[in-house]
Amino acid sequence: MLGTAEVYRRVSEADELSSGDIAFLSLARTRLAGEMPPGDVFDPAGRIPAYPRPALISLPHDREVAIDTMFALVVTHSCEIDRQKNADVESPHFDCRLTVAPIVAESAVRLVTRDGEDETVNWAAIEANDPVSSLYLPPITDISALVPGAEPIAWPRSFADLRGLTTVSRRMVVADRLCGLTPGYVAVLQKQLARFFTWRDLARHELVESLVGRRVVGAVPLNARGDRLRVALTADDGSSLTVEMKAR
Amino acid sequence: MTRLAAILDERNITYTAVAQRAHLQARTIRQLATGETPIDRVAVGTVRRIAAALSVPVAELLEPEHPFPGDAAMSRGARLSAAIRAVMWSGAAVPYLSPVEDAAPDEIATLPADQFFADMPAIHARHG
Repeated sequence: MLGTAEVYRRVSEADELSSGDIAFLSLARTRLAGEMPPGDVFDPAGRIPAYPRPALISLPHDREVAIDTMFALVVTHSCEIDRQKNADVESPHFDCRLTVAPIVAESAVRLVTRDGEDETVNWAAIEANDPVSSLYLPPITDISALVPGAEPIAWPRSFADLRGLTTVSRRMVVADRLCGLTPGYVAVLQKQLARFFTWRDLARHELVESLVGRRVVGAVPLNARGDRLRVALTADDGSSLTVEMKAR
Repeated sequence: MTRLAAILDERNITYTAVAQRAHLQARTIRQLATGETPIDRVAVGTVRRIAAALSVPVAELLEPEHPFPGDAAMSRGARLSAAIRAVMWSGAAVPYLSPVEDAAPDEIATLPADQFFADMPAIHARHG
């Protein structure tokens, strides 16, 4: 079982922003009015959840902005943050957006399957970082040990939900940072991000399955890096898939 | 726990009893008491009827304002403490789609991060 010291570290307002920082933020999502993600058309596998209690701002033509005010984890890589900071431009022109993942607390939600049935046992899998789309965040018995001036209250066990990635202003992150992740646990975050994007963008099961039984009519080498080669495959029905191969 | 739930608990009153007095459905009272429906999301008239049924001012049923990021009226520590209480320990657990997929267990999940990235150039946690 992970201890607080293995996962979390203190940050002060003066510290540099870093991957793994946890901050209190307002996250905005635009959508059709009343739409419950994922939206069958976009993701039949139902992988993108909505945080349950957004504030809503109506837009014309049956659109709205759902705003979730919650804690979130910075997933933009630290070196990318540094690059933005060190770019040869005036500070107001920094690329000011950081990618964050909403943090979902056990006490605030009841995990359900796509069919709406309870999935309470799933916390064991989440604790083991088994799902590709979550990063487990263990409980903290006294948050004041990490945040000077905070009350001695507990932080519940929770997870960062990579399915809800969005961007926020870097200045907002600076203003309301709670704490950060230790370098060791940032490595675990990086592993989860690699797994998530591989699963989500490169190896969608539906894409692979739809190609089974098809004849490959085109193979275009895209780029090579070291002993790895990326190739775009085109099937006889016009569908395509990008694969990465490792030379042996 | 919501303020409505605290009042019902303190007076040992059931959802049904309040619903009858307020001429509302018991389900409405339950949703408000558990926080499943925030009390500031229902019609003012509904809140007034519940307040009248309990003989309390409307203000006593309303939840305290949630803290918001960047609120300069509070110190960083106070703001973050209030946020943890409001967001991370909210009264009612609402349904949320689990991140656990139906797919078979992934062997990669059990690999430590250093082994996972073993055949890649080293990535410094801070400097990329």
